[in-house]
Amino acid sequence: MNTFVTETVSILTNAAMLFVVAAGLTLVFGALRLINMAHGSLFMVGALTVASLASGLTGGWGFAVALIAAVGLCAALGAGIEISILRRLHDREPLAQLLATFALVLVAADLAQRVWGTSDRTVATPVAGRFSVGGAVVPEYDLIVIGIAAAVALGLWLLLARTATGWRVRAAVEDPETLSVGGTNLALLRTSVFALGAGLAGLAGAAIAPLESVGPGLDTQIIVAAFIVTVVGGLGSVVGAALGAVVIATVEGLGTLWVPSYASSAGYLVMILVLAVRPWGLFGTPDR
Amino acid sequence: MTVLEEKIPPATARPAPRPAARLLPLLAGAAALALLAAAPYLVTVSAILSLEQVAAFAVFAVAANLLIGQAGLVSFGQGVFFGLGAYTVTLGWEHAGLSFWEGFALAPVLGAAAAALIGLVALRARTLYFALITLAFSQLFYQLVEQNTGFTGGANGVFAPVVPAWMESPVEGYLTLLGIAVAALLALWWLYRSDFGLLLRASRENRARVQALGTNVYRLHLLAFTVSGAFCSLAGAMFVVYNQGSNAELFDWTTSGQAVLMSVIGGMYTFAGPVVGAFVYQFGHDWLVRYVSDWQLVLGGVLLLVVILRPDGLAGALRRPGRLRLSGRLELPSRLRGRK
Amino acid sequence: MARFNAQRWTGLAAALLMCGSAAACANAAAGTGGSGGAGGGSGSGGTVTIGESTTLSGAIASLGQTGLQGVQLAAADINAKGGLLGKQIKVVSADDAATPATGVSNVRTMLDADHAVAIFGPVASSVASAEEQITNAQQIPIFLHTSNDIGLTTTTYSKYVFQDVPNTVMEPRAAADYLATQLHGKSVTIATFAPNYSFGQDTVAGFIQALKAENVHYTLVKQEFPPLGATDISSYLAAIESAQPDYVFNAQFGGDLVAFTKQAESYGLFAKTKVIAMYDYSVLQSLGSAAPTGAIGFDRAPYWTDDNSTMSAFVDEFRAKYGDAPSEWAILGYAAVQQWAWGVEHAKSFSGDAVSAALSGASPATILGSPQIRACDHQTELPEYVGTVSAQAASSSDPTHLWDTPAFEAQFDQIDYSCAQMTALQK
Repeated sequence: MNTFVTETVSILTNAAMLFVVAAGLTLVFGALRLINMAHGSLFMVGALTVASLASGLTGGWGFAVALIAAVGLCAALGAGIEISILRRLHDREPLAQLLATFALVLVAADLAQRVWGTSDRTVATPVAGRFSVGGAVVPEYDLIVIGIAAAVALGLWLLLARTATGWRVRAAVEDPETLSVGGTNLALLRTSVFALGAGLAGLAGAAIAPLESVGPGLDTQIIVAAFIVTVVGGLGSVVGAALGAVVIATVEGLGTLWVPSYASSAGYLVMILVLAVRPWGLFGTPDR
Repeated sequence: MTVLEEKIPPATARPAPRPAARLLPLLAGAAALALLAAAPYLVTVSAILSLEQVAAFAVFAVAANLLIGQAGLVSFGQGVFFGLGAYTVTLGWEHAGLSFWEGFALAPVLGAAAAALIGLVALRARTLYFALITLAFSQLFYQLVEQNTGFTGGANGVFAPVVPAWMESPVEGYLTLLGIAVAALLALWWLYRSDFGLLLRASRENRARVQALGTNVYRLHLLAFTVSGAFCSLAGAMFVVYNQGSNAELFDWTTSGQAVLMSVIGGMYTFAGPVVGAFVYQFGHDWLVRYVSDWQLVLGGVLLLVVILRPDGLAGALRRPGRLRLSGRLELPSRLRGRK
Repeated sequence: MARFNAQRWTGLAAALLMCGSAAACANAAAGTGGSGGAGGGSGSGGTVTIGESTTLSGAIASLGQTGLQGVQLAAADINAKGGLLGKQIKVVSADDAATPATGVSNVRTMLDADHAVAIFGPVASSVASAEEQITNAQQIPIFLHTSNDIGLTTTTYSKYVFQDVPNTVMEPRAAADYLATQLHGKSVTIATFAPNYSFGQDTVAGFIQALKAENVHYTLVKQEFPPLGATDISSYLAAIESAQPDYVFNAQFGGDLVAFTKQAESYGLFAKTKVIAMYDYSVLQSLGSAAPTGAIGFDRAPYWTDDNSTMSAFVDEFRAKYGDAPSEWAILGYAAVQQWAWGVEHAKSFSGDAVSAALSGASPATILGSPQIRACDHQTELPEYVGTVSAQAASSSDPTHLWDTPAFEAQFDQIDYSCAQMTALQK
């Protein structure tokens, strides 16, 4: 019973973090048909921003302020990247866009090292308490992470399914001409979606910061995990990202219990298996 | 090889170049080769060392580009075969008592076998999904090699005096690798220019039409994946001469990514592009790492400029249609080009 | 460290725009731009070059960066006293990005183009074993002051290799010895936690083996191997937490250990369980007030347990120059250069053979005292330190929680393999 509760909460927390990272990635793909490799770099910038602000701002509210600042900074960086670089590559093949964002990973790694140095930083947990369920320990901060993920999921669902903007975002890929004729500023739409995706990367980095050592290398640590979740769920699908996050977290969680030595390979195996059966992911659409 | 004999009439497939145009790439190639063979006596040792790596990476990049540029299959998994080739040599020496050259001969065979099996699964996915499933294979192999310390040496790799002593000196090592690289590149050049290469380019431009003409594109791509895997594995075995051993990072997706970078920097629609890319990338990287502390910043910046300003890569810049075909885009017969 | 400058940028632009031969020339020009090395050390005046290729970017950059600081400071101190055999020491450095091929390329260039007479060690053991192939072949001494895999002084050992840190056998044995002294025959439950690659696997295996050797009554309740550099380890931690062990032996280091500590704290693991891990200065400094009071740390060279005046003078000098106290990586890098310099002075030569012969079996004075360099495997006979993380900050100006003093000092001959064992492994 103990193990069951502890594992369930840890799987949910893990899934929540994976979802928040993957949500931005899949959102950007959905509207721009672009895989943003620099997503991990924005994640790192979010975490580092919180780490440098948090020492000055103490307590739960201080953390909230730092979190908002991190999201804002990353969204602004995202808008800048889209306007200055990606917009020029919009009509090019996907590989060119992929490599441009990879170039940004390299640039960002050195710039971050310039600004924040190489030492690992820590962020005080804003809610350090824990409580007990059926004899198992549940950290309170885990609930906050799960809450953030739920809010992101709900927000994105409302935005995409219930607003005219959401409709335009979806149409931006399928029928850009009609959209353009209908008076939509496509360039602005793309920039906004990319900025939102970047902001979500920053949010994920900020949310994970209190549980992590924050320093160089965070960017590459997260990006492959985010790819796996996004691809398993299906590129461009927010629902898919959520399901992918739960699948990967569950497989890893059970792996740690049953085959600890191979748990770290489990994610890749799942991805290969899913794509072998459904080559476009669980919720993706076949790409021609 | 039935795939190759499908219904593309070979006679009209390529516009016949003028005789002078045919000689030019030959002359250019011969001049470059003479320069490369003389290089050890002209440049510093550190440049020879970079050249040793270039020899292995040129084969790796051209082999990977058979998929990337020719077939339009962007693979982030060629590192699997590169690593496999290197480990065939070192583990063959350590566990089976194979000599360097025995392991070297075995590498492409194992590479082809592994590629055929992986391709069977990976090629079910298309475009970006293909890129990411091959990336997953790269990471899976990397993890497995790093964890199975008993057999593979784990993260410490296998570094042992497996390379024959006479090849340890940079000059001899480089000249040997240069010879192997030239032979491998000639074989690849023949493949690029064969009907098989033509079909691959056709499938990149219009998969549906090639399929409609009676070619099973899945099988065509599987064959390309297998051939590419064999040559990537050969390149990995070559790399052991430089590296003096093998290490788990060779399987990592960043190794696969290097082949993609080299192809794009040099020009992925040409044969010589990846070779140029291997030169520029390796010299640029080695030089930056040694003399510039923010080397990633500069590398990223240059890459960004190439991607934005030179869509056809550096070799694409030299291109004069119908003339320097070694670097010019390998064109398709118009009836196959179709519309996207 | 070479900084970015305009001249080199022009060279690079040329290299990237022109074909390979142009690149080779630019490279050759850059290569010869360095100072002339001193091959045999004949004559005085001029400079002599040593090379430090290490990890300066990515997740383990902090280990490499502070190690490099130690090496540079040692060279500067020797230069201030008139240099070595009349020559000023020049340190060339390069980033290996924790990749063996890059390390090999850096070291070969340092030897061939910069004429370096000694190489100082990388962070990753894989890079170190790749570099040993080069230095062994070229008969150049290599001083390993961070990477410590036992294979480096066994399977790839040659007389040009010097191991300046306690190796992977010694560290877990020291922790097990300390545990044995604490338990007095009581039986306990133990879990292990280690990054899933050779270092982690070997360290855990060594710890268990040492527990057996010490006749500790233990039950192994859980073993977890998260990937190196995993961002989220909560499922691995949950598995440990639900096993409720008395002790957790953790073989993580650096940023991974910091993340473990933060997440384990949120589970309240430290209240019920004693964690044994590499709580060294850099990790404790990162954790600050979040340091796990009462946890057991081990460290290769904690400056605060050594109260000799040489060490305290060094700490003051380091603080003045870099603003922080020295990490173990900086201390060990500094001591490695001191060892090499001692060897050069006694051999009266920079040649690898002469320096190797002078150092083998000798006891050069360093900031860590004068430990002997064992003749059979060139392992410096250093102790490993084990201590309890203090409840108090170091001082009002430094919020780092160090260890309670005195720390437990596991003596070298208690924890390392004997020469007979090492010689057997070297075959």
